[in-house]
Amino acid sequence: MFENILLGITLLFSLSMLTAIAGGVVGGVLIGVLPGLTSTMGIALLIPITFSMPPAVGLAMLGGIYLASTYSGAISAILLNIPGTPAAVATLLDGHPMTKKGQSTRALALATFGSCVGGLISVLALLFIAPPLAEFSLRFGSPEYFLLAVFGITVISSLSGKDVEKGLIAGVIGLFLSTIGNHPLTGFMRFTYEIPALYDGIPLVVSLIGLYSIPEVIDMLVTRASGEKIKLDTDKSNPFAFLPEVIGQKLNLIRSSLIGIMIGIIPGVGCSIGGFMAYDGAKRSSKTPEKFGTGCSEGVVASETANNAVTGGTLIPLLTLGVPGNPVTAVLLGGIMIHGLRPGAELFTVNADIVYSFILSLFVSNILFVPVGLFMAKYCVRLIQVPKSILAPSILALAVVGSYAIRGSVDDIWIMLFVGFCGFVMQFFDIPRAPMVLGLVLGTMAEGELSRSLALVHGDVTAFLLQLVTRPISAIILILCAISLFQGIKQQLRRN
Amino acid sequence: MKRKSMKKATGVFYGNILILLALGLLVGLGTTSLQAAYPRKPITMIVAYSPGGGTDTAARIVAKFVQPHLGQRLVIQNKPGAGGQIGFTALANSKADGYKIGFINIPSIFMVKMLRQNVPYEMSDFVPIANIQMDPVVLAVKADSPYQSLDDLIRASRENPGKINVGGDGPQSNNQLQLIVAEKKLDIDFNFVSYNGSGPAITSLLGGQVDAAVPSASSATTHIKNGRLRALAIFSDDPYPYLPGVPTIKTASGIEIPCIGASMRGIAAPKGVSAEQVEYLQQAFAKVMKDPGFLDRANKMGLPLKFMDADQFNQFLEQAEKDTREYIDLLK
Repeated sequence: MFENILLGITLLFSLSMLTAIAGGVVGGVLIGVLPGLTSTMGIALLIPITFSMPPAVGLAMLGGIYLASTYSGAISAILLNIPGTPAAVATLLDGHPMTKKGQSTRALALATFGSCVGGLISVLALLFIAPPLAEFSLRFGSPEYFLLAVFGITVISSLSGKDVEKGLIAGVIGLFLSTIGNHPLTGFMRFTYEIPALYDGIPLVVSLIGLYSIPEVIDMLVTRASGEKIKLDTDKSNPFAFLPEVIGQKLNLIRSSLIGIMIGIIPGVGCSIGGFMAYDGAKRSSKTPEKFGTGCSEGVVASETANNAVTGGTLIPLLTLGVPGNPVTAVLLGGIMIHGLRPGAELFTVNADIVYSFILSLFVSNILFVPVGLFMAKYCVRLIQVPKSILAPSILALAVVGSYAIRGSVDDIWIMLFVGFCGFVMQFFDIPRAPMVLGLVLGTMAEGELSRSLALVHGDVTAFLLQLVTRPISAIILILCAISLFQGIKQQLRRN
Repeated sequence: MKRKSMKKATGVFYGNILILLALGLLVGLGTTSLQAAYPRKPITMIVAYSPGGGTDTAARIVAKFVQPHLGQRLVIQNKPGAGGQIGFTALANSKADGYKIGFINIPSIFMVKMLRQNVPYEMSDFVPIANIQMDPVVLAVKADSPYQSLDDLIRASRENPGKINVGGDGPQSNNQLQLIVAEKKLDIDFNFVSYNGSGPAITSLLGGQVDAAVPSASSATTHIKNGRLRALAIFSDDPYPYLPGVPTIKTASGIEIPCIGASMRGIAAPKGVSAEQVEYLQQAFAKVMKDPGFLDRANKMGLPLKFMDADQFNQFLEQAEKDTREYIDLLK
């Protein structure tokens, strides 16, 4: 193995390799910042370009895009309260309040260093313990996925801010929206009114754009005359001054990285859930949970560390088994196969040079997005000083173009505006939006996996319930659900 | 300061106008000298699935290699959603000037039409140009499964009708259609469980969550070659080139089973396109299918090719529509 690592290192330090990584990282940061562009789209469009490159170089570039875009969604989340990627939804809960307090550089620095640490730890896991983790990931069947979704939904209490009741309302709205579209097992159409754009359900990225940008635009237009500007940074403006603050949160970094890696290796869960769960974990183990949601550094670090730890995690089953865990890695699988490479044990022996230089390139990407991201953020910070009468229409235009670009569909603009209106009503009544996102993401998973679990036992409900307690992993998740609910209720009672 | 930037702005403005004029002149020259020749500008190809999926990747590779034979760029436009319905509809409704073509999937294009109400296209809206690819369905089990052959699996399903779980892309996919046709012909009954694509179905088979799976051959090949999965039969009339040694369903079962679940990917244009343009496009795609660079790339990534010219493709489509219609009710 160490020979292979050395071989990888020698391949890594070539001009073409480093140029490809740098290009991937810069492109990735841009893709992540803009809400309408997703990592999946970026990688898919670049794959044809990579096939004229040597395989290791092409893969290093795609890896750079993946890691950098997962991180940089935080920049728009922190500065504008609009997540650039679904992975950054948990980041804005505390990141944007920090900006409002005039601590944008601090928030951006925390997010950047957290992402870097999470990413590096997950690549270490990929390098050294990938095979056993990949085998473990295969033990997740439909009952486990179902319980995992339920466990995710219990996190709502942590995302709700002051009023748990309002959080639950938002969660239910999200769950309801997730039932739109065809039933995952029967194909029966629900609430689609024969609009083909709704057949596959409400598209997540489109609804995120609407949910976060439309209320922001309306708010800016209403308050434009007040002349009140968000304070630019009142802190020191050197982001590296905050590095010790991140390193100081050792426990948080390790916990969030582990959560991220775990979520990453389980196929089909994804970066945003990793961020939410780590945020929840940080809040529960914090001495000052009441500060979460008001601009708490632990929240930003937890969410960002975890969502970048997911990236290395998702590559574990991808490279060792050829099992992609999310849309991005599914596209990456295509990018690997296009070079005639076959994921699996063979990849690590016959093509060791390629795969190890690819894994090592991920270390470089994870470090490189720090200066690139901070440099870009330095200019993005000025956005918050742009007069609202200019910023609001610009954001609206970006939202319209972005939601159209996802599938090239005009109907998606209407969906974006509809969800945006819902978001505005929610904001008006002070209902938090993050639980709605959680409901939307997990509702589809919970419903699909529940009906699949039942289909696998031929509709026998007792057999299904028995499975939940007798399958070891599902029993553990069941216990976690119970603990999470119990803690949430206890905290609520104490507060009353 | 202000005046200076103003000056700069006007400079930029005039610069732009100059560039525009120059461009206009170039375009004008271009059109007059090449008036008659088709294609005069890049051709757009609609793909009814998301960027990065199997169909999209195949389309992009074809697009890259067809460029010299076409004499123009082939630009991919993704119109994903509703199982292909949105993209197929967009193709049917686009202008038949020869600059808009589509990458269509068979039997999905029939199935969407037959299974749903108010689908706004007819099969007669499309003019077939060439078929590129054929990806059959494969019946596979996990390497350590007790079922060594198709016979073992059939016997088990006769002993426990409706109890053997078979995972596959679904619901209402070509994979499910293929399984249902096989069940009817072999007079057996499996419990089909839908997964969100062939990939997740394979993952659940690798984890032993289902007894067997019916993924597309292209997505299962890696796992079969790695020895993690065992292919019992391939739903194709001829052996599958990337899986030598895997029997066709006819060899394995001794019964003629129509292989209508195989996913065919080909090129079509909207109705009304001129015969010369069809001929030109057909030639270009026929040439790319002989291009060594393209063949090498397709072979490396395990892309199963099957070329049909416009006539063959047309005949195939008519037959496939008939066959699909015969069995589609089994899916409802």
